Amino acid sequence: MHFERRAAPLLPMKASVDLSRVFGLRAAGVYYALGLLITALAVVTAVTGRPNYLSAVNLTNIVYQSSGVAIMGVAMTVVLITGNFDLSVASVAALAAAVQISVVDSAGFVPSVFAALAVAGALGLLNGVMVQFVGINAFIVTLGTLTAVRGLVLIVTNGRSLMVQDPGSLSAMTGFESGHLGRIPYPILYMAAFTLVVGFVLTFTIFGRRIYAVGGNAEAARLAGINVPAYKLGAFVLSSLAAGFAGVLFGCRFGAINPTAMQGDELTVIAAAILGGTSLFGGAGSVVKTLAGALLLFTLTNGFNILDLGANYQGLIEGSVLVVAAAIYTLGGKARLRRPAIAANASPLTKEAV
Amino acid sequence: MSHNPDLLQLEGLAKVFPNGTVALRGVNLTLRAGLVHGLLGANGAGKSTLIKILSGALPATAGTITWCGERVSWRRPVEPQAAGVATLHQHIPLVGTLSVLENVFLGESSGWRRTRQLEARLQRLLQSIGYDIDPQARVGDLSIGQRQMVAILQALAMQARLIVMDEPTASLAAAERAIVYRTIERLARVECTAVLFVSHFLDEIMLLTDEVTVLRDGVAVLHADTRDLDEGKIAEAIVGRAVTALTREPAQMKFSDPPLLEVDQLGCPGKVAPCSFTLHAGEVLGIAGFLGSGRSELLHAIFGADREARGEVRVLGRKVGRSPAASVRAGLGLVPEDRMGQGLIAGFPLWQNASLPFLESVAWRDFLMAHRLEVARAEEAIARLRIKAASVDVPVSELSGGNAQKVSIAKWLTAATKVLLLDEPTVGVDIGAKTEILQNIRAHAAAGACVVIVSSEFEELLEVSDRILVLRDGAIVAERQATRTTEHELILLAGGTAAQGSHAGCRHRGLSNHQDRLE
Repeated sequence: MHFERRAAPLLPMKASVDLSRVFGLRAAGVYYALGLLITALAVVTAVTGRPNYLSAVNLTNIVYQSSGVAIMGVAMTVVLITGNFDLSVASVAALAAAVQISVVDSAGFVPSVFAALAVAGALGLLNGVMVQFVGINAFIVTLGTLTAVRGLVLIVTNGRSLMVQDPGSLSAMTGFESGHLGRIPYPILYMAAFTLVVGFVLTFTIFGRRIYAVGGNAEAARLAGINVPAYKLGAFVLSSLAAGFAGVLFGCRFGAINPTAMQGDELTVIAAAILGGTSLFGGAGSVVKTLAGALLLFTLTNGFNILDLGANYQGLIEGSVLVVAAAIYTLGGKARLRRPAIAANASPLTKEAV
Repeated sequence: MSHNPDLLQLEGLAKVFPNGTVALRGVNLTLRAGLVHGLLGANGAGKSTLIKILSGALPATAGTITWCGERVSWRRPVEPQAAGVATLHQHIPLVGTLSVLENVFLGESSGWRRTRQLEARLQRLLQSIGYDIDPQARVGDLSIGQRQMVAILQALAMQARLIVMDEPTASLAAAERAIVYRTIERLARVECTAVLFVSHFLDEIMLLTDEVTVLRDGVAVLHADTRDLDEGKIAEAIVGRAVTALTREPAQMKFSDPPLLEVDQLGCPGKVAPCSFTLHAGEVLGIAGFLGSGRSELLHAIFGADREARGEVRVLGRKVGRSPAASVRAGLGLVPEDRMGQGLIAGFPLWQNASLPFLESVAWRDFLMAHRLEVARAEEAIARLRIKAASVDVPVSELSGGNAQKVSIAKWLTAATKVLLLDEPTVGVDIGAKTEILQNIRAHAAAGACVVIVSSEFEELLEVSDRILVLRDGAIVAERQATRTTEHELILLAGGTAAQGSHAGCRHRGLSNHQDRLE
C-alpha cells in the first residue's frame, strides 16, 4: 500500500522543481546577461549609426579575443569545483610562452610546444603538492607561484622582450595560431574543443562525478572510496597545462613575449568562472557557463571600444557586474533552499510520516 | 543534607517540540549549593533537553524554574549566565587562537584590557581550585583535558553558583579525569558551588556525586542520595524494566566456512588498543560504548580511514589495503556518525548520493554515467528504505534527519558491500525510521554480508546484534552473546566498575576479547 501511494506524486513534483533549476536566474543568469548585453549593444550601435554590431566579423573577433582567458577559465572551473583556487595561471602562461620562444629556434616548433607544456604541467604539480600534501592554503600557495613564476619569466627573458628569430619557426607558430577553418580562427576551435571535452567529462563520466564529489564534501568523498588527493592534484595540473597552452597561443600570435605579458589576466579568468556561477566553496560549477562568463567580460570591453565610452569607466563597470552577479547567485541560492522545504511539507508523502 | 540551601528548583518541567515530540514530561529536580548532583539516563531520556532549558537555549513548555527563591523564565543564554548558571557543553566553545587568560575572561564586557588585573584574578582562581596552567598558552595548543579546565575556569570567572557539566570526562584520559574530579570536589566543598554532573559512567557518579537523578522517557524515575545507591540500582533505573525476551531465535552459529571479516591486532595509538575479532557471513556484531570509548575510532580504523591505525584487516582471507579506496574495493562500507559532515554530499541530489561508492556499477564501460540506471537505483533505495522525498532530484540537505540517514545507508546496501560498518546509525532518527533502518541492516546481513554496528543505545544493539563487544577507554572489555546479556549488564560493563580497565585502572590494556567470554 505504501508503494502505490509513493509512486503517484513523483512526476508532477519533479517537473515543477526542474523548471526553476534550468531557467532560474541562478541557473541561467549568465546567459541572460550575455544576451541582454549583446542586444543592448546591437540596438545602441544601430540607433547611433555605427557599424553593425552583430556582424560576423565583430562577433568572431570577440570570441577570438576571449579564447585564451576562456581556455584558462574552463580549467580554473575544474580547480574551483574541487574546492581549490589557482592564482598562478597568467604567470604560468607567460612562462610557457617565454620557454617556447626561447627554445623554438633551436628545437623546432613541436618540441617547443611540448617543452612549454611540460614546464607548465610541472608548475601545476608543484602547486598541487604544496596544497594537498604540505597542506598550505591554495590561495597562499598560488599567490606565491604567481609572484615567483613571474620572476622566472623575468629571468628567462632577462627583463626584455623576447622574439623568435628563425623565419621557419615563426611561420610554424603563426600557422598554429592565425590559421582559419572556413572563417573561424583556430584559437576558437581549440577553445571550443577544450570546453566540450572538459564539459563532457564533468557532466557525463565517472571522473566528472568524482570531481564534483571531492569539492562538495571531501571527507564524504574519501569515505566513499574516492582518491581525493589525486583529483585535487589533477585539477591543478590541468589548470597549469591549460594556462601553458594559452601562453603558447599568446606567444604564437606575436612571435614574441614581453616579461609583463598577461599580467593580471588571472583575475579575469577567475571573474569569468564566478560570472558563470562557479562556487568558490567547491562542488558546483559548469564550464559552458564559465565560457559565457568570459564572453560577457570581453563583450563589455568590446562594447566600450565600439561605443567610444573611454577605458576609464571599464574597470568600474566590470567590477560592478561581477559583484552583482555574485549577489544574484548568493541570494538565489538562499531562496532555492527555502522553497522546496515548503513544497515538501505540502507533499502527501511527508504527511504519511507523522 | 538540609544544611545546604536550595539553589535551583525545577517543578513539573515539561518540553514538547513543535513537531510533537515530547522530551520532558514534568521533571522535578532540586540542586543545592555545595552538592554534586548526578544526572543519568539513556539516549533520548531528556538529559540534553533539560540542559538546554537550564542554559537558556530552549524555553520550557510548562513547569517552573525557581532560582534562589525567585521564579525565573530564561529565554536567552545570557540570562542564566548573568544569574550565575554556567553550562559546560560537550563541545567546548573556546577561541583556539586566544590565550588561556583571554578565554577565561571572554565574557567580561569591559572595553579595556586590564591584563595585569585579570592575571591576578586568574591566579586567585587557579589557587582556589588547586590547578596550574600557563595563562599565556594558546588554547588551540592545549589538550582536551586542559581545555575542559579552561572552560571550568571560565565558569568560575563569571562567578557561577551552579555549574552544569555535560559529560565532561567522556573524552579525557584517566589522569585528566582525576584533575576534573578533584576540581569538582573542591568547587563543591570549598567554594560551595552547586554542580549538575551529567555522565554515562556509573563509577564516577558513585565516586563523585552526593545525589542522583535518573531520567527515563522524560520523567525523573529515580531520585536519591548517592550513599543509598549502588551501580546496579542506577542501571536498573536507567533501563526501567527487564528487557523483553527477544523474539528473534538465536542464530544458528555453526560457521564452518572461513570468516568473512578478520580483524587482527588492529589498533590506533592513543585511541584504540590493538584488538582482534572475526565475523562470519550473516552475523551482526554490536559494539557497545559511550562517547569517548573509541567506538568511532575503531570503525574508522577497520575501514582504513585512519592513517595512524596499525594492524591487519582481512576480508575473505585477503588482506585489505589501509585506505578507504582499498576498503571499498574489498567490499567494506562505512556509514559515519556525522552524516552531513562525512556521509553525504549536501549539494548533491539524492540519486547522486545513493550511487557514489559504486559509480562503476551504474556506468557504461566504467566510464560513462548511465543516468537511467542511476535513477533506477535511487528509486529502488527510496522504495526499499521507505525514504520520504519529493523526488530523486531533491538535494539531501533538504531531507529530514532520518531520511538523510537512510540515504547515507542506502548507498552501501548493494551486494558489493560484504562488510557494513555503521556508526550510531539511528541517532536523531524518529522511531519509525529507526525500525526500518534496523530491519534493513538485518536484511543485509541475512543476504550474506556481515555488519558491525556501533551504538550507545544498548536496547537497540540487543535487538539487532548476534554478538556484542563492549568498548571502554579504547579497549574491548567484554564480549557477550546478545541472547545471553541484558541492557542492565551492558550499562554496568560500559560504564561501571564491573568492567576491567575502568577509569581508575589502566587505559589501553588491550584485553583480548577471548579472555572475557561468558561461556
